[in-house]
Amino acid sequence: MGFFDTLAQWLGVKKREVNVLVVGLDNSGKTTIINHFKPHDSKNHDIVPTVGFNVERFTSKALAFTAFDMSGQGRYRNLWEHYYRECHGVIFVIDSSDKLRMVVAKDELDLLLQHSDLKNRRIPILFFANKMDLRESVSSVKCSSLMGLDQIRDKPWHICASNAVTGEGLSEGVDWLTDQIKDLIESKKK
Amino acid sequence: MMMLKRDKKEEEEGGGNPFNNLEKSTVLQETRTFNETPINPRKCGHILTKLLYVINQGENIGANEATEAFFAMTKLFQSKDPILRRLMYMGIKDMSKIANDVIIVTSSLMKDMTGKEDQFRGPAIRALCSITDTSMLQSIERYMKQAIVDKVPGVSSAALTSSLHLSKTSQDVTKRWVNEAQEAVNSDNIMVQYHALGLLYHIRRNDKLAVTKLVSKFSKHTLKSPYAYCLLIRIATKLIEEEDAGSGSPMFDFIESCLRHKSEMVIYEAAQAIVQLKNTTAKDLAPAVSVLQLFCSSPKPTLRFAAVRTLNKVAMKHPAAVTACNLDLENLITDVNRSIATLAITTLLKTGSETSVDRLMKQISTFMSEISDEFKIVVVQAIRSLCAKFPRKHSVLMNFLASMLRDEGGFDYKKEIVDCIIATIEENPEAKEAGLAHLCEFIEDCEHTVLATKILHLLGREGPRTPTPSKYIRFIYNRVILENAAVRAAAVSAIAKFGGHCEELLQSCVVLLERCEMDTDDEVRDRATFYVNVLKQQQRNLSSAYILNGLTVSVVGLERALYSVLEHGLKHVCCTGLTVSVVGLERALHQYTLEPSESPFDMKTVPLATQPLADQKVRETPGLAGDVGKPEKSAATRQDLYAEQLAAVPELANVGALFKSSQPLEITESETEYYVQCIKHTFSNYMVFQFDCTNTLNDQVLDRVTVDMEAADGFEVVKQIPCPSLPYNKPGSTYTLVHLPEDPTSVTGTFPCTLKFVVRDCDPNTGEPDDDGYEDEYVLEDVEVTVADHVQKVMKPNFAASWEEVGPENELEDTYALSSMSTLEEAIKNIIQYLGLQPCERSDKVPEGKSSHTLYLAGIYRGGHDALVRAKLALDTSGVTMQLTVRSTDPSVSEVLATAIA
Repeated sequence: MGFFDTLAQWLGVKKREVNVLVVGLDNSGKTTIINHFKPHDSKNHDIVPTVGFNVERFTSKALAFTAFDMSGQGRYRNLWEHYYRECHGVIFVIDSSDKLRMVVAKDELDLLLQHSDLKNRRIPILFFANKMDLRESVSSVKCSSLMGLDQIRDKPWHICASNAVTGEGLSEGVDWLTDQIKDLIESKKK
Repeated sequence: MMMLKRDKKEEEEGGGNPFNNLEKSTVLQETRTFNETPINPRKCGHILTKLLYVINQGENIGANEATEAFFAMTKLFQSKDPILRRLMYMGIKDMSKIANDVIIVTSSLMKDMTGKEDQFRGPAIRALCSITDTSMLQSIERYMKQAIVDKVPGVSSAALTSSLHLSKTSQDVTKRWVNEAQEAVNSDNIMVQYHALGLLYHIRRNDKLAVTKLVSKFSKHTLKSPYAYCLLIRIATKLIEEEDAGSGSPMFDFIESCLRHKSEMVIYEAAQAIVQLKNTTAKDLAPAVSVLQLFCSSPKPTLRFAAVRTLNKVAMKHPAAVTACNLDLENLITDVNRSIATLAITTLLKTGSETSVDRLMKQISTFMSEISDEFKIVVVQAIRSLCAKFPRKHSVLMNFLASMLRDEGGFDYKKEIVDCIIATIEENPEAKEAGLAHLCEFIEDCEHTVLATKILHLLGREGPRTPTPSKYIRFIYNRVILENAAVRAAAVSAIAKFGGHCEELLQSCVVLLERCEMDTDDEVRDRATFYVNVLKQQQRNLSSAYILNGLTVSVVGLERALYSVLEHGLKHVCCTGLTVSVVGLERALHQYTLEPSESPFDMKTVPLATQPLADQKVRETPGLAGDVGKPEKSAATRQDLYAEQLAAVPELANVGALFKSSQPLEITESETEYYVQCIKHTFSNYMVFQFDCTNTLNDQVLDRVTVDMEAADGFEVVKQIPCPSLPYNKPGSTYTLVHLPEDPTSVTGTFPCTLKFVVRDCDPNTGEPDDDGYEDEYVLEDVEVTVADHVQKVMKPNFAASWEEVGPENELEDTYALSSMSTLEEAIKNIIQYLGLQPCERSDKVPEGKSSHTLYLAGIYRGGHDALVRAKLALDTSGVTMQLTVRSTDPSVSEVLATAIA
């Protein structure tokens, strides 16, 4: 990173760039959530199942995010691990209306937490209990107990209920993630 | 960009390749830089370039390493830098076949190909198509269809060419894109139109009717792109060739109409197509040639080159058609571009008349020093064909070749000239003296050992028979003083031949050879000592056998074989001047040493070296080279292969050494149920008929296959060796052993043959046969045994010497009237075929316009008897009259041969 970049960042003109990984089971709404953060004119109207991954950029109040929107389909989930090493934060999207597959999501989460690239790092994990508008959806509290989130002790985590179609709850979660990542970077500098 | 510029600069300055010393593993290590955030486009671009370079150098990268590098590369999707992005697309394409899970980039690429940045869309389509396999193609089909009809030409072209690549593996899917391709053909962009037509043709390629429709449709409605027109012309040409249609076909009309197109590219393509068609008359060619003629005077060198190159090719097939362009070609002789000038002159040489040869040769000699060896060879080949065409012009051509020989040049060039001179000497007796003189001059200063020995051998063969042989000896003896061992040895042999042939030179030759006996090289010394001793005997038959028509086995092979004999204390080796095959000799000697025997070793038991079939083959017209097959190289070893094959059959172990094997002879039609070929193997007292059978019915298995032969007079069928089983399409062999008649003069006969076997039906799919079968038979064509089967061809370079050597003891003479023959050539061909002997001293070629001719034939008869035939032929109104004289070392052989013609 050049001198001017550092200067611009210090002055607050240019935002610091961070990478986040967006994972979760297929049809949980990852691409839709990312789509919500995009500027209005480049929004995509028909969301199709992702094959592989997509790179998207969006900004929050203090950071420029580069989101790796991974495919959630079963056969591509083993490809997530290629992107663990460089990420500063993880967004895990849960379909809160799909109680049946909640255990599968839990399995994937456990695998993620146990992975050697993430295990010993204190990276923040943001959970979205998505599709809260649906009638059969469960509350975020219920969701966290189903996913066994209280077992996570070495990483900061946060869960919030969201509706990716309307954008409800999304900014709340991203604000939390921004604070966490900022703290993390500050503490590393010290 | 900066990086690339700097690279270029470095290249210019240092002249070296900046990527020269790249290590695969270091580059792969460096790809980890891609994982860093934020991305440094300049650095990553440089690393990616290095990676691409390594891959394209053909380095083998393991799947795991490649996958790691590939996933690192996928991080570059974050960057917006256009150069880095486009390098990355190339990287994805190049690694798509070596890395695993390349499917990961599908969505990202799909996003790019439908995105706003036109610069990314084309490359993204290409990369996407390279990572997509047939099963995934469905998911991108919709996007591909859209891309094909996209209004940005780059995107559309990329989609069309990628579809073409995809259709190699997934023809079914791309077939559905016909409508889009149709639409793209109507594009205004010339490249899109060309690519779309290419895809359309590719999709319909296997449907002839559809292709015909395609051509006729687009030939009517005007295409904009000249490239598309060229493609259309090529498709039309292919159609005409497939249908074997001549100029009558509508396709031809279309091609002809293209001659009037406004684009030069199309005009040339059409002219070239017409010229290359097979069934064209002079009238069809005329418009194409006149177009090429126009191009000859074009200011553009490329057009002139294309035109003259095509005309040069036409000149082979239709020299008359090209004569019209002679004037324009003459102008091109002085063209500044030497390639054009050379082609123009060689074309003129092919088409020109005898009178223009002198002028052209003068013209071409002015710039011979300026053209490359490659084109010089073209000129030499043209001269060679001229020599054959205009024998009277040999003096001009020979002088020209001689001056070319004096100039600088590589080995290939010199060899071509020497070959050309040798060929001319052999074709044209008048040119012999001049040619030999030029070659003598050449070896005075020749740095190529191979050429020098070749010329010395030729001098030894041809020199003694010239009116003044003595003048060559000086040239040859100079070699003995000045050259290396191989050339000296060749020179010694050549001098000995002079001594053996010319009485008056004998003494001088012996003196010269005696001086060589002190040579430093073993081979030279040995040869000199040997020749001096033979020559001092002053016996014609000895010198004939050992010097003039010496052994044609390789000396090394013979030496080794004899050495092994001597080692075993057997000193009775009776060796006569036979032409033996080295392999056969070795085997015979080996067998001899195994069996403790008191009888002397007889060379006659050794199989003869088969005379290569291509021996007298006239060199094919230069320029056509490439479509002429190689001469039968295996001819000499074919018999050794058979011998080995027969030796493997235990029942045939005691018939003796193989004397001769015939060519395979088809005794069924090739498309019948059972396909049988017969090969006749001749031994000293037996004949073995080898039947190679193939079962072409997939629902039958044949068991216990034999061939039943009805023996002709005096012949006796001794044994049949059946082929145990003959499944579908697997050839098998059965043998029949026949004892030859006791009477040495009855050697010919006709054998009616029947194929006998047990049929078992089987399932065509599994090949599982039924348990029980039934007997059946199949009538084959008759097999004939002729005199030629008992005779092996042997080349005697000096026939007269052998003729004297054999002597008139068993001479037979008779006169025949061959009324059915109308020309001498026909008669000669038939005589050679009947007798199976080798024509010597090129006597099988009749000089033009002669009405009488003498044919010399030589060979070895079964049992190792020399057989020589002299046939004096005379042509008159009633046919050909022949006086046949046969000499042989055995009286019955003479009788057999003398009666063979009758």
